[in-house]
Amino acid sequence: MAEEAGIWTISIGNAADRMAHIKPPRAVLVKFARGSMFGEPGNVKRQRRIILDALAALQTMTEPGTIQELPYRWKRPDPE
Amino acid sequence: MPIDLEAFKPAYEKWVEESLPDFRAGNMKEIVKRYPFIAPDDIPWTPYSGQPSDQTFALVTTAGFYLNNGQPPFDTESIHGDTSYREIPKSVRQQDIRIAHAHYDHSLTEQDMNIVFPIERFVELEKEGIIGRLTDIHYSFSYVNDAVSLVTKTIPEWISRVKAAGVDVLFLIPV
Repeated sequence: MAEEAGIWTISIGNAADRMAHIKPPRAVLVKFARGSMFGEPGNVKRQRRIILDALAALQTMTEPGTIQELPYRWKRPDPE
Repeated sequence: MPIDLEAFKPAYEKWVEESLPDFRAGNMKEIVKRYPFIAPDDIPWTPYSGQPSDQTFALVTTAGFYLNNGQPPFDTESIHGDTSYREIPKSVRQQDIRIAHAHYDHSLTEQDMNIVFPIERFVELEKEGIIGRLTDIHYSFSYVNDAVSLVTKTIPEWISRVKAAGVDVLFLIPV
């Protein structure tokens, strides 16, 4: 309903099955548990990277319903 | 309206009736499996233009946050969930936050709210000019099943507030 009002949206999801039902306009998918969408508490660098990835997705996604999976894994170092 | 609420209503009422025993017993996986998800026929879409550095952002989480300064907690008992929302200022600190959401583990979020509501990172991005402006007010919803009330009452009123605040981009964190 936001998009219909001319407001862009970008979603951070962790549940591919639920997202398939809900069909957000643009989304990035993380492999973290519910309640930790940006990784481990205090992992500031990772929080920032996920936001920057989402901002890039906002600018580059051209197809409604696009979902991009991000490479981060719990307690493992971020990829270069 | 792109969402077919007339078809959803009876399916939802049936779901409530059939799911109450599992809901009360905490069998959340079972009730989610049966939930009559609705999605619009066409995914709502406004083509993006411009640059984040020129735009105004607001965060939306469904983590069940409310402020400990007198905001009421969300209803965590009803199978319908709670269709209301709370306004969270951009200056919020960890110690201002309470959580009313019965269906995820809060222990990590209580250590760092940014893992479901990365407001401190967005304040930094605003200072650096990576985003144009971070609006003063952000939003927390909680657990909701009653999509009819949400879509017909809460969301239209909320969207007009968001528009009035000059928000260009909603950054959504469904928990």
